[in-house]
Amino acid sequence: MTWMVWRQHRTEVVALAIFVSVIATALVVLGRPMHALFPAGSAHCLTPPLDLTCRFAQARLTQDYGYSTIVLILLNFAPYAIGGFLGAPLLARELEAGTWQLAWTQAVPRRRWLAVKVMVLGTVSVLLVAGLSAVIGWYRQPLDLLGGFDITGFDLTGIAPMAYTLFAFALGVAAGAVLRRSLPAAAGAFVLFLAVRFTVAGWIRPHFRMPVTRIDAFVPGSGDLTDGTSNVRDMILSQGFIDAGGRHITGLGAVILEGKAREQGGDPTVYLHDHGIQRWVVFQPIARYWPFQLIETVTFAGLAVLLLALVFWRIRRTAF
Amino acid sequence: MTTPPALRTRNVGKRYRRAWALRNCSLELPPGRVTALVGPNGAGKTTLLRLSTGLLAPTAGSVEVFGESPATNSVRVLSRISFLAQDHPLYRHFSVADLLRFGRSCNIRFDHDLAVRRLTQLGISLDARAGRLSGGQQSQVALALALAKRPNLLVLDEPLSRLDPLARQEFQQTLMGAVADGDLTVLFSSHAVDELERVCDHLVVINYGRVVLRGEIDALLAEHRVLVGPRVRTDPRGSRSVIEIKHSDRHTTMLVRQGAAPIMPGWQANPVGLDELVLAYLRRPADHEEQIA
Repeated sequence: MTWMVWRQHRTEVVALAIFVSVIATALVVLGRPMHALFPAGSAHCLTPPLDLTCRFAQARLTQDYGYSTIVLILLNFAPYAIGGFLGAPLLARELEAGTWQLAWTQAVPRRRWLAVKVMVLGTVSVLLVAGLSAVIGWYRQPLDLLGGFDITGFDLTGIAPMAYTLFAFALGVAAGAVLRRSLPAAAGAFVLFLAVRFTVAGWIRPHFRMPVTRIDAFVPGSGDLTDGTSNVRDMILSQGFIDAGGRHITGLGAVILEGKAREQGGDPTVYLHDHGIQRWVVFQPIARYWPFQLIETVTFAGLAVLLLALVFWRIRRTAF
Repeated sequence: MTTPPALRTRNVGKRYRRAWALRNCSLELPPGRVTALVGPNGAGKTTLLRLSTGLLAPTAGSVEVFGESPATNSVRVLSRISFLAQDHPLYRHFSVADLLRFGRSCNIRFDHDLAVRRLTQLGISLDARAGRLSGGQQSQVALALALAKRPNLLVLDEPLSRLDPLARQEFQQTLMGAVADGDLTVLFSSHAVDELERVCDHLVVINYGRVVLRGEIDALLAEHRVLVGPRVRTDPRGSRSVIEIKHSDRHTTMLVRQGAAPIMPGWQANPVGLDELVLAYLRRPADHEEQIA
């Protein structure tokens, strides 16, 4: 049976291994000059005060490596590309070609057949993504300076990418069982994968835990209007000013207010301070990276298990 | 204790989402025989075959293969059944040798040498890709795979339908050879009646998802007669033994099921051919089923 899994899926597995190696090699090639900007490592540049090397490197990073954000965003498709590519044809191809009738009348009960395939191919896809995610983790290390509690960092590192892969794999298998053809199954699984990932990353993740709200008074005469938090890696949900009456001023209102403060001439912090206006920011601190990784992983792994359980239940009594 | 029949179904029924594909179907396959399952497209043949290989579980009634339900999907029951599905599906990218290795890796008993011998005899190269073989060769490879399992029950779904006459003959020869070799019961479906007599000794006819006729072919042929006589106005529903009645201007032709009962004067009795017999049963409308029992 294991021989059979290898024989049937070796083309995809080899293709994916090549795909992962090519991306990994490219990341190493692109990442080396970026790492060279930080001869002493980039970690000490994360917390102020920044020394000259850090400031210089940060400027270079923004200027020369701005494209890396796009690279990182695109890498979010890798878990689907790997998990879905192995998952979607698992059942669909057998159903398409009618070979399920051949496979399931050998002396391997079909639930065992499915269990072996899911175990082997699920493990392969998770391992491929684990390898890729390790390389991505190395590549984007200096980019922490530009943030990363988002889809350019959080979603690509840690343990969550493996759970995404498992989810994509399970989605592919389930879509194959329902749609019975590889291509529609892959397409359907892709759409669902994106929908769930966007929903969780965009709307649910910011509320995994109660966000932290911080209100700071302006120090008159400091000239310091910088927004955000003290750590560039925090996930900022909302920020702006808060006036003496406790009203939040964000977006355009904040821009207008800041313009007004600058118009007074001299230090805008004095104007803001005098009017009782304070800095206001709501965020998830980067210290919550691991708890959030854990919640995300459990969510997606749980969805994957649920989908696979449905597929097992589906083939238990009735074949297709 | 007597050995259980190769296949026994009791009032088995299978309902898909909306409609019953098969209903109240009871039959028994004596071991060591070749049984043909005949019926028009959509009569429920494939459903019945899938039920008997455990690919489907029945909605109602029971299916037993050598006394065990194939729907349990146990290794033991799966080892005893081979199934050759319609259009003999194979992994097209596999070489023939790969397919044999697949058989070996997924079965406890798999007579690899037997399969190699059969395929070599037929001149099928083990290095050939399954997808590149002709339809006849593919069916032979599928049959060799099925037989190498050394099954006790071989189930074939329309094995002959897509084969040219020569391939058909070769296929039948292989099949007959396997039956002669050992302890093998064969059930195959077909909608071509003409070639059945050569291959099989039992017949099950299904229509509208129900069994309309079953029995040993020789016995069935002996039981039925075609009577030709002067035109009458008999209603065929009036008599349980009249299967079909046709009137022409002057004559009435009846197919009757009544062993050797004497016939009326002026009537002539002729033996019936197998396809004529099957077609007569298939032509009967759905509401006749109850009368057949």
